[in-house]
Amino acid sequence: MPQMGESVAEGTIVRWIKKVGDQVDRDEPLFEITTDKVDAEIPSPAAGILTEITAKEGDTVSVNSVVGTIQVAGEELPPPASAAGSRPATARLVVADAPAPARPAALAPASLHEAPARDGHRHKSSPLVRRIARENQVDVAQIAGSGLGGRVTKQDILGYLDRGEQGEGGRGKGEGLSKESGPRVQETVRPSPGTDEHSEIQPMSAIRKKIAEHMVLSKRTSAHVHSVFHVDFSDVERIRQEKKDEYARLGAKLTYMAFIAKTVIDALRRYPIVNASLDGDNIVYRKDVNLGIAVALETGLIVPVIRNADEKNLLGLSRAIADVAERARGKQLKPDEVHGGTFTITNPGQFGAQFGMPIINQPQVAILGVGTIEKRPVVIDEGIAIRTMAYLTLGFDHRLIDGAVADQFMADIKQHLEHFDPNQV
Amino acid sequence: MPASYDVVVIGAGTGGYVAAIRASQLGKKVAVVEKQKALGGTCLIWGCIPTKALLEHAHAFKIVQNSDEWGIALPYGAPAIEMRQVHARKDKIVTGLTKGIEFLFKKNKIDWIKGTARLAGKGRVEVVDGEKQTLEAAEIVIATGSSPRGVPGIEIDHKRIITSDEAIHLPEVPKSLVILGSGAVGVEFASIFRRFGSEVTIIELLPRLVPIEDEAVSAELEKAFKKQGIRSLTGTKVTKASVSGAGVGIEAQGPDGKTQKLDADILLVATGRAPVTTGLGAEALGIAMEKGYIKVDSLYRTSVPHVSAIGDVIAIDGRVHPQLAHVSSAEGIVVAERLAGKDARPLNYDHVPSCTYCDPEIGSVGLTEAAARKQGYEVRIGSFPFGVLGRAKMAGETEGFVKIVADKKYDEVLGIHMIGPRSTELVAEAVLALRLECTVEELMRTIHAHPTFSEAIGEASHAAHGAAIHM
Repeated sequence: MPQMGESVAEGTIVRWIKKVGDQVDRDEPLFEITTDKVDAEIPSPAAGILTEITAKEGDTVSVNSVVGTIQVAGEELPPPASAAGSRPATARLVVADAPAPARPAALAPASLHEAPARDGHRHKSSPLVRRIARENQVDVAQIAGSGLGGRVTKQDILGYLDRGEQGEGGRGKGEGLSKESGPRVQETVRPSPGTDEHSEIQPMSAIRKKIAEHMVLSKRTSAHVHSVFHVDFSDVERIRQEKKDEYARLGAKLTYMAFIAKTVIDALRRYPIVNASLDGDNIVYRKDVNLGIAVALETGLIVPVIRNADEKNLLGLSRAIADVAERARGKQLKPDEVHGGTFTITNPGQFGAQFGMPIINQPQVAILGVGTIEKRPVVIDEGIAIRTMAYLTLGFDHRLIDGAVADQFMADIKQHLEHFDPNQV
Repeated sequence: MPASYDVVVIGAGTGGYVAAIRASQLGKKVAVVEKQKALGGTCLIWGCIPTKALLEHAHAFKIVQNSDEWGIALPYGAPAIEMRQVHARKDKIVTGLTKGIEFLFKKNKIDWIKGTARLAGKGRVEVVDGEKQTLEAAEIVIATGSSPRGVPGIEIDHKRIITSDEAIHLPEVPKSLVILGSGAVGVEFASIFRRFGSEVTIIELLPRLVPIEDEAVSAELEKAFKKQGIRSLTGTKVTKASVSGAGVGIEAQGPDGKTQKLDADILLVATGRAPVTTGLGAEALGIAMEKGYIKVDSLYRTSVPHVSAIGDVIAIDGRVHPQLAHVSSAEGIVVAERLAGKDARPLNYDHVPSCTYCDPEIGSVGLTEAAARKQGYEVRIGSFPFGVLGRAKMAGETEGFVKIVADKKYDEVLGIHMIGPRSTELVAEAVLALRLECTVEELMRTIHAHPTFSEAIGEASHAAHGAAIHM
């Protein structure tokens, strides 16, 4: 399993594209994985014949573990430790500079209710943390580590105990522990005899589990407040109709989203607190605007990030939004393209929602939800007019942002969208 | 066109030069403005290096003084300390190390700008003397450090009433020396000059020597000093000190309220160090200050964007900030990594080792027993004397002990305090133990090589859990 970016520790093999015995070329797609960040096709590290698959579809394996073997023709590589003599040279998939001794058992398919191989990776802690965990009957794997390399520290576990996160059954014997916190779910299918035969049970995918964890974590972390503004898009709509063809000739699609993104980015510049994060007792003002755009996939939700979005004009943004959305749907995103965001826009309106109440994408402190954009009757002066309207919702973290600031930020966005500067187009 | 840099560091002490090297390693274009003629700052030129060099001379002299016991024949009579050679060797070490930093600057393509820096508005540093110019800086790091602080009412004339800056250069061993203050500087110079032959008296305002250390350590040091003939006047306040004739007349009020008079060739004022910000223009730029120190957050940002500060000159989170070379260096690395966009994390100031190179040495990290009790821990103590160890007997260094302060509930090692041979080296294991959140049991199961001084740590952890093996 190759290193997919700094923050990815493991992945689940969704599908082997090549079968044992297949000839593969270097960089030819070999198998498909899903990680907590992204789905991706993994190219072959070498040309040869795939002779062995040790991690089957559905297995979750950690980075740098062996998932299969490619026999490389005419190349002399040291044979694996277990092989004596004249076995053909092989390329151990993915383990590049440290050929580990062959350990076929290490990645053997886990039996149904065994936790997958992930555990070894998640449990970085310390003697003290393990001692506290033992005495309080806590599973260290349940605790988010703040130390180097995700190590669970004394502070982490004491904070966890203080918040009572070990759940009601927490101080009981063993069992209550792994059930408690909502997002953690049974890793594998385990049909109980009592299950209704008319129901079908499926394991959550890695991405599904990650979304679940992330959402609950966010709800628990931030003091969510939502503020809804009704915004007149008639001006934007007029400009869009005028310039649509011109943009099309430049190979870009001029969407409402581009206008919204541009306006939001400019407002973030004026309200840096909305583009910030909380780090303990410190407020971290992010100097770059890295804009996340939520993209719905068949399998879940992903938020690719447009880095330094504030350096792009409307055309650049249009292209960037289309690009990340398309690559997200085609599973072509790199893991590093889905974190580091400083603010997120989500678009529940695309399916007709009037407005949404989005959950903040941690560690950000605000998220904008765009409701459906449609013609509505509105009162202007003493008359009723038909205007292109939409509700915009700001979900914000009241720990850091007060209502007044959030509403000023939103009023700023409303003002600039309703009087969109034509020179920016 | 003014020269333009990604990072301009003001001050080339252990904070500044390390920040500069780290920033350069991470791809930044860096200049360092330094007003001294050499790089290295207080640590290399005035502090750690010269004093510890002197202490090594004292140690060598101690062996020779006990030549009978060691079986070393001295056919030409009693040994004597030759200060000219002492200073020559010490200065050679200092020069060698400052040149070493010059080399590192060249290697890392860091511009060393000789002169005094002043903050001249947003992103600008003016060099007001020496190589006069104005530098443009995307980021500024203030690392101007500290200088010896006096005491109100005592005028330092730098000849008879001196600070550590003069003490490292004393051409002759004074017959008598009174030292005001028993922090690291005070007790180190007491050890040096007592060994060299001075009559030494330490006056400390607080009730015990090395007041920041564990009480047991203070008591052990006072005992050892007494044996060596160093007089300790604790709980004592100097009310008057003035140069008279060839010496200094001192009046001091003891804990009983009685005033006594002392005469000495030299009075060394070692009562702490004050931040250096004179002429820097920090306040003019709008940088928030706290009692003369530059206020910073846990990642060393000042109140003014793109201006950071590290080392002895800062006040952080309203707590006492340790003025130690290794702390400044650690801060320099953090600040450079933050400026380079790395994942910089705040340092844990509870895990800063403290080393005092008096005789016997002191090394400590973490909570003292009193502090642990004050914080509400149910405390478990384990102590072990060095004197029992074979290694200590061979070295003829049998004073002192290792004391472990642990939490009874979870067995966490909260602090380790040592006084005795090699304690400043042994503390490294203790720092790692705290950093990695070690339990006493883990420390106990850690194999300590034999015969070494480090066995005392293993034994002290056994003692914390009931009984040491060799006691």
